[in-house]
Amino acid sequence: MRFVHTADWQLGMTRRVLGARPPKEAAGGLTGEAQARFAQARLDAVSTLGRLADERDAAFVLVCGDVFESNLVGPDVVARACEALASFRTPVLLLPGNHDPADAACVLRRPDFVRRCPPHITVLDTPGVHEVAPGVEVVAAPWRSKHPLTDLVGEQLAALDPAPPGTLRVLAGHGELDVLDPDDDEPARIRRDGVLAALADGRVHYVALGDRHSTWADAVDDRIRHPGTPEVTDFDEVDPGHVLVVDLDEHAARVSVETVGRWRFVRHDAGLDGDDDLDALDARLAALLDKERTAVRLALVGTLSLRQRSRLDDLLAAHGHAFAAVEVLEQHSDLATVPDDADLDDLALHGFARDAATDLFAAARRDDAEARDALRLLHRLVGSPR
Amino acid sequence: MRLHRIRLRDFRGVHDREVALAERGVTVLQGDNEVGKTSTVAALDLLFDAADSSRRADIRAAQPAGVDAGPEVEAEVSTGPYRFVYRKRWLRRPRTELHVLEPAREQLTGADAHARVTAILDETMDRVLWRGLRVEQHTAVGQADLGGQDALTRALDRAASGAARPDPTADDGLVERAVEELRRYRTPSGRATGELRAAEVRLADAETEHERCRAALEAVERDVAARDRLDADAAGVRSRRLAHAAQVAELEDRWAGLQSRLREVETARGRAVLARERAETARERREARDALVAAVEADAAVVERAEEARDAHDAEHVAAREERDVLRAADTAARGEAAAARRAADDTARAVSAARDRAELADLAERLRRVEEAESGLAAAERVLATATVGPDDLDALEDLARDLLRAEAARDAAATRVELIAPAELTVVVDGEPVTLAPGRTQNLPVAGSRAVSVPGVLDVRVRPGHDEAGRDDAVRACARALDERCADLGVADLEAARAARRRADEAARRAAEHRAARDRELAGHGSTAALREAQDAVRGRLGEDDGVGRGDDLFSIAEPAAVEPVGADLAALRQASDAARVAADDAVRRADEAGAACRAAEDAVRGAETRAAVLAERAADARHAHARRAEELRAARAAEPDADLAAAEEDRRARAREAEREHESLAAALADDDPDTVEARVVNARAVDERLAAEAARLEREHAETTGRLQAAGLEGWHDQLAAAATELEAAVRDHDAVARRAAAARRLHETLARHRDRVRRSYVAPFRAQVERLARIVFGPSLSLEIDEDLRITHRTLHGTTVAFGALSSGAQEQLGLCARLACAALVDPADGVPVVIDDALGHTDPERLARLGAVFTAATAAEGAAQVVVLTCTPERYHGIGAATVVPLAPSRRPDDRDHRDDRDDRDDREHRDDRHDHHPDEHDVAPAGEDTPARTPGTVVDLPRTPRAG
Repeated sequence: MRFVHTADWQLGMTRRVLGARPPKEAAGGLTGEAQARFAQARLDAVSTLGRLADERDAAFVLVCGDVFESNLVGPDVVARACEALASFRTPVLLLPGNHDPADAACVLRRPDFVRRCPPHITVLDTPGVHEVAPGVEVVAAPWRSKHPLTDLVGEQLAALDPAPPGTLRVLAGHGELDVLDPDDDEPARIRRDGVLAALADGRVHYVALGDRHSTWADAVDDRIRHPGTPEVTDFDEVDPGHVLVVDLDEHAARVSVETVGRWRFVRHDAGLDGDDDLDALDARLAALLDKERTAVRLALVGTLSLRQRSRLDDLLAAHGHAFAAVEVLEQHSDLATVPDDADLDDLALHGFARDAATDLFAAARRDDAEARDALRLLHRLVGSPR
Repeated sequence: MRLHRIRLRDFRGVHDREVALAERGVTVLQGDNEVGKTSTVAALDLLFDAADSSRRADIRAAQPAGVDAGPEVEAEVSTGPYRFVYRKRWLRRPRTELHVLEPAREQLTGADAHARVTAILDETMDRVLWRGLRVEQHTAVGQADLGGQDALTRALDRAASGAARPDPTADDGLVERAVEELRRYRTPSGRATGELRAAEVRLADAETEHERCRAALEAVERDVAARDRLDADAAGVRSRRLAHAAQVAELEDRWAGLQSRLREVETARGRAVLARERAETARERREARDALVAAVEADAAVVERAEEARDAHDAEHVAAREERDVLRAADTAARGEAAAARRAADDTARAVSAARDRAELADLAERLRRVEEAESGLAAAERVLATATVGPDDLDALEDLARDLLRAEAARDAAATRVELIAPAELTVVVDGEPVTLAPGRTQNLPVAGSRAVSVPGVLDVRVRPGHDEAGRDDAVRACARALDERCADLGVADLEAARAARRRADEAARRAAEHRAARDRELAGHGSTAALREAQDAVRGRLGEDDGVGRGDDLFSIAEPAAVEPVGADLAALRQASDAARVAADDAVRRADEAGAACRAAEDAVRGAETRAAVLAERAADARHAHARRAEELRAARAAEPDADLAAAEEDRRARAREAEREHESLAAALADDDPDTVEARVVNARAVDERLAAEAARLEREHAETTGRLQAAGLEGWHDQLAAAATELEAAVRDHDAVARRAAAARRLHETLARHRDRVRRSYVAPFRAQVERLARIVFGPSLSLEIDEDLRITHRTLHGTTVAFGALSSGAQEQLGLCARLACAALVDPADGVPVVIDDALGHTDPERLARLGAVFTAATAAEGAAQVVVLTCTPERYHGIGAATVVPLAPSRRPDDRDHRDDRDDRDDREHRDDRHDHHPDEHDVAPAGEDTPARTPGTVVDLPRTPRAG
């Protein structure tokens, strides 16, 4: 039996790093454009995995939670999602996750979703065993609220008897395993021991999870899996952009990891202490491919002179136009701009203007940011005489 | 910079002239108007500024008119380490040549030469200072705009610090650009504007929008939570209702059982009440019978008391009637006596009245007689009066006439001829027929009026006749006499005497008539007339006749008898006394009769009262008897229907039955109370209320559930997550944008503040040396008490002289001119010798008096005395102004004309020979090739060469 395991589509997500789309103004301009392309990319990833499922003749597509970024996404997001789903020929099972829990506002029960929802879509908003095909059961552990007080997966597993012979059981859950995120205060953590035990005694044959945006498989039993998000959502994700095609029998699962995502979120930490480092950064950024689908987050540490700082600014601005986004993460950066004597001489000032510049230099060396800005302005003004 | 020589060719009116300048001190270029002084300076500017290809207006203006030659300028200049000769020609065959002599020789032409000179000048010379220190012609020598020039500031800075020469364009207007930058963000008053304002607005909008979306999202989340809570609550309510229903059913059963027993108790209570009511009825009937028996007995007692009262009253009644009869008799007797006494009193009163009337009648008769006498006298006197013809007026008229006559006679006699008769012896003569005896010795005068006849009878007849006049007078006398006689005749009297007698008689008669009239009136007093008096008499007489019944004749007689009056008067007093006594007696009798009548009436009233009371008492006794009889009948009938004993037995029986019923009720009620029906009822009521409350709660929950669901469905379509995400992104971008702009704004402000602070500090540091230099020079002009105030822009603001401080603008034109000159020369003296630029003064000091001019000469000398002091070039057409300058080198300028074009030039002179325009004329068409340049010594053109004493170059 073959099915596609995916999760965390996060439809309707926007990323601030991709810039502002003024909420009350028509979308437009460079930043709004990146945001829109990113949104489209998420839908494209869904369409791609739908085609993949069709091509591989999968029995169904199981989406383990967080189909939507929020229960409160707009009707446009819902409508486009329904359009993308309508292109599938394979049945799809949608499990409510922590972003779209089956609470009173659940988007999967909203009239606009229900009205447009294609018939081959099943929403697993009731916990328990669902027979999705002869001899195939899916045990759903949907989120009913944003803050469940129990291990929903463990609850479902505890209520199960071993599967009847000839029946394959897939558990669909959403949440982190306690080994991945050992947070004792979180009651909804999934107990790995219980999952392993259920797999061992044949209550279930595959544990399909969601919530972790990176692709992951359990070391002890590789039938416990996170597929990761099909399209990257953040800089800290490890190897996102995949879906899992699972061939399952009662004893084992053969899993192939297929890539559907096209965007990249790249974080780069750089030490900047001179022109060489600037050259290296420049080269590094230039070497990145698919810039229009790449967001770069930089953490910069080091000390630059006034001139070098100006160069850095120019460099970042130039690359910023090519990339979907180039961001300097202030809280992880420690970049000091210390003007040196060469800077002062570059200005070639005399008289009181030189005195004033000397004052500002002294203040800038004492890490007076405003004085540094004033010096940069002075640089600019001196460089552009009338 | 130092100028060594300047050569002009075909430049405006100058055909070809070279001027050599003293390298230090003052060079005075003197010459007449239009000789080309100003052109020399203008040519220098063109040489340095305008490329040879330029066709600027001022270059075209420099072209001599009608000559096919371009203006050409050549100058030899030292500046910094350089010394060069620079030549340019424009418009015709333009050309530029540069020969650098020091420090290393080089030769350049064309654009290269121009660029090289520009570079040298930019490197070594302060062009702004060069212009700032110039005094243009026909402009007031006011304040040089020194402080506003950064270039001058820099020059002073260099002068003070000795720093290396910078790129002169590097900080040109730096402060202004900093201000401009600052104004992009903030207005002069410090308000945000432009980009900064837009960023602030964007940030505020983004915060508002973000907050709005966040609130909306939170509201939705609250609704989600509320829905969960509502679901849980509804389930709880349902289970509670279910549990409660059983409890309600059990209580309702118990309550129903208790209610049927309650009804039984109620029935028993009704029976007991009824039996008690019946017992009460029997008791009332028996009591009514007892009351009836008592009433019959009481009625009998009343009858008895009424009859006793009636009898007692009858006895009192008889006594009262007897007393009334006695009083009635006494009353009759008293009334008879009173009538008799009244008659007696009336008789005496009538007697008194008659006596009084008789006395009155006698009085009236006497008065009547006296009236009649007076009336007869009056009639006699009136008769006399009636005959009198002479009234008082008539008599007066007569008297007047008589007087007139006498006057007439007297007049006649006085004028008349007189005849005096004197007889020696007594003699009788007849005068006018009358004998007149003449006494002896006496003269007898005879007036002659009319004719007179005097005769001594027998002896002689003398006739005397008056003349004509005398006759007239006699006629007047006769007229008067005639008038008198006629008047007398009219009055019926003989003459005046008779008239007087008649008048006297009439007066007498009138007096008498008045007397009689008075007498009559006196008698008639109170009656008005005789007739009234007679009527009064007749009235009294009538009264007497009626009263006495005495015959009229007797009465008349008695009245007529005067003696009879006396006894009547005496009798009257006695009669009056008797009358008074009789009246008193009558009054007493009447009073007594009235008393008796009153007593009689009282007795009558008493009798009538007693009779009324007797009737009342009799009636009352009858009523009592009747009532007694009726009630006795009633009692008898009642007893016949139901004997007293039956009544008592029935009462006893009913009372026993009532007690029985009550006992039964009490026992039932006590049994019920033991089962506590109140508590059961309270619990039932409460259970029902709880049920209702739960139902309402369930309904409320259902309603809220529906509402929340509706809100959630609506919110789902709003896309709040998308809106919030967009708002958050926008907010972050707005914050970043605002931070960046705010940083730039702060930087601009910081830069401007820092620059301005340092510039001000530098300027302040310039003020002191600048002021010292200006004062040093100005004291030469104004004396040692002068001091100046100079602001940071290096402007002289106030001058203090002899302790009096005056603002610069308030100074006279002359003083302003002198101070302005001192300030420029001070600059020239202040700047570094290597940096100095020539101070050019084009014919100034027109406002300065000779004394000050002399002192200014010393100023020039002092300013240029120092080694390396700047060049000063003075252009003037009035050389005497500058005679006082000791260190001056005077260069007289003569016109440089083309010899072949004199006529043309003269024409122009006639038209334009005005001093203030001399810089624009003196055109001398001529054509020369560019002279070879580069000689170390100036070229000398015949007739225009001015040789100069050459001074050693300053260090």
